[in-house]
Amino acid sequence: MLTRVKSAVANFMGGIMAGGSSGENVSGCDLPLKFPYMRPEFLGLSQDEIECSADHISRPILILKETKRLPWATGYAEVINAGKSALNEDQACCEVVEVKKRTGGSTPSRTPTAKRRSSLPNGEGVGLRDSADADGLLFHYWALFDGHAGSGAAVVASRLLQHHLVEQLQEVLEKKVEHESLVVGALENAFKEMDAQIEREKSVYNISGGCTALVAVFLLGKLYMANAGDSRAIIIRSGEVIPMSTEFTPESERQRLQFLGYMQPHLLGNEFTHLEFPRRVQRKEVGKRMLYRDFTMNGWAYKTIEDEDLKFPLIYGEGKKARVMATIGVTRGLGDHDLKVHDSNIYIKPFLSCCPEVKVYPLTQYEHGADDVLVMGSDGLWDVLSNEEVSEAVTGFLANCDPDDLHRYTMAAQDLVMRARGVLKDRGWRISNDRLGSGDDISVYIIPLLHGNRQP
Amino acid sequence: MAYAYLFKYIIIGDTGVGKSCLLLQFTDKRFQPVHDLTIGVEFGARMITIDGKQIKLQIWDTAGQESFRSITRSYYRGAAGALLVYDITRRDTFNHLTTWLEDARQHSNSNMVIMLIGNKSDLESRREVKKEEGEAFAREHGLIFMETSAKTASNVEEAFINTAKEIYEKIQEGVFDINNEANGIKIGPQHAATNAMLSSSQGGQQAGGLLLSPSFCLYPPLPAGLTYPPPPQTSP
Ligand SMILES: Nc1nc2c(ncn2[C@@H]2O[C@H](COP(=O)(O)OP(=O)(O)O)[C@@H](O)[C@H]2O)c(=O)[nH]1
Ligand SMILES: [Mg+2]
Repeated sequence: MLTRVKSAVANFMGGIMAGGSSGENVSGCDLPLKFPYMRPEFLGLSQDEIECSADHISRPILILKETKRLPWATGYAEVINAGKSALNEDQACCEVVEVKKRTGGSTPSRTPTAKRRSSLPNGEGVGLRDSADADGLLFHYWALFDGHAGSGAAVVASRLLQHHLVEQLQEVLEKKVEHESLVVGALENAFKEMDAQIEREKSVYNISGGCTALVAVFLLGKLYMANAGDSRAIIIRSGEVIPMSTEFTPESERQRLQFLGYMQPHLLGNEFTHLEFPRRVQRKEVGKRMLYRDFTMNGWAYKTIEDEDLKFPLIYGEGKKARVMATIGVTRGLGDHDLKVHDSNIYIKPFLSCCPEVKVYPLTQYEHGADDVLVMGSDGLWDVLSNEEVSEAVTGFLANCDPDDLHRYTMAAQDLVMRARGVLKDRGWRISNDRLGSGDDISVYIIPLLHGNRQP
Repeated sequence: MAYAYLFKYIIIGDTGVGKSCLLLQFTDKRFQPVHDLTIGVEFGARMITIDGKQIKLQIWDTAGQESFRSITRSYYRGAAGALLVYDITRRDTFNHLTTWLEDARQHSNSNMVIMLIGNKSDLESRREVKKEEGEAFAREHGLIFMETSAKTASNVEEAFINTAKEIYEKIQEGVFDINNEANGIKIGPQHAATNAMLSSSQGGQQAGGLLLSPSFCLYPPLPAGLTYPPPPQTSP
């Protein structure tokens, strides 16, 4: 299995990096994998089951087994793509993680933490002692990674990102961890450290491709949602949608990317222009007036076309098809250090950011019912279903379940994945109203929020 | 482990007839009296030998409940064999066979081998469906038939292996297009030498397919002056 996976990965590396179909001479492929390819650990699949799950023809929807329980009775379901890559490049991780007080090391002899906490102003420290023993702190962690150009980065991030978060939180454990901004900072730095580790270790391990990361952390009564990429999280509360993330794409990050191209033109390798035009400029149009926009603009203006403008636009394509340097459709995430523009020496990574946007939801300030949930999904879900459709489907499904059935959230996740995948007809995968189903990997968490209210 | 062929099976039938127990008996040689309700799809696999060849059976165990029927249905396609199971102690599970069969015939490939199984043959005292009735139904619909017990393991090996034999014979007769994975048959690494061309071209195709990924796509920069073609459709 391992060798099969390796050769599959080699194939992609070949396809992407070398532009050919043979992966023989791609650098990095002789290196060992840091972690073997697998599905999320909590699914508890055997090698045989993993093999079965990678069936592009029947596309089995995998769910959390009834015997396996996740924190908060979290529901989970996933399905593989319709053939775009041999493996499911989404990954997931869900754990309750303990942050222990660092013993010894750089900062010895501190005042006992519990005492200092309770003496904080506004009683802010009060909840802390309940949340873990005097020496540490617990947090709940749900993460979703959507890989591209190989599964390596997503697998590595799904195994290690939480440890980086622990390290970052340890730094502030002795300080005022109740302060939102310190947790936000810890998340941001955890992403940065994860990305740096991938870069460091890709010289010793085969860590292919890159991945987006969407992470939910519940800590001291608050839910933190960190997003780097184009996955999405929404809260459904009393049937109403509360967006918890925004996607980072060439469209949404156009101005940041254009500014970078403008400031550091060498990154464009003389092949690309940082300006945007509504369509590809043709040679015969030099000297004519055409609409354009620069990093300073939201609207459009006219300019006289020069030779320089004939270069390929840094950002090109509309909506889901927009690409940075004709290569990648997502602008934040981890990995991708080796990614180059096809047939060139131009690196894409400088344009990609590993920094997440973090939103905070003060969970315990609200009462939640059994049907109030956080939905986290990879873009395979959101490409074909709107927030409202997801909200309706989940609310409708949960309403028809026994509220005491702990497996209801996994069944709702299975139902969502089925709605997004659809059924294979003569003309491809189809969902309701004969719309096209998602041919992408689809992964979904459904997390009931009332457990957050009950959390000691 | 190396195999010559891989056959994909699907197990269908009403809930409670013993599908999951049959699978467990076949793969692990044990009986688990209380089995979790299958609410999605579960997998099992085992190697068998036919005609001196190693054959890997990949078995998909499905949920029988009506509410999961549309999901179950979507798994018929791409199976080379189906075990259609009823419970000899519950006549209703026998009565539902026609619906299951219609479903299977409609959503599977036409060459799929279907084995009809009357399970729980150890419960002779509670039998509601005569063996002859099962035989008659099978004859009428062109199925193979066996009575099994997932509890005592009686006929369980035979049910899975006879189905494989039938598929293997169809391959020998050239009925199955083994190069089309949608038929539920894969040529294994044991055959790799003779079929190297086939598998490498498939690998290449998939790598190429990645280029159509919605969030990841490579468009080589075109020489200036050429208009850029519209990106290809993602879905098949
Ligand atoms: N006596 C007997 N009980 C069986 C046999 N096969 C399954 N069972 C029982 O039937 C029940 C349902 O079995 P299960 O495999 O879960 O059915 P499924 O819903 O079709 O997967 C369980 O309680 C089993 O113990 C059998 O061959 N003999
Ligand atoms: Mg079952």
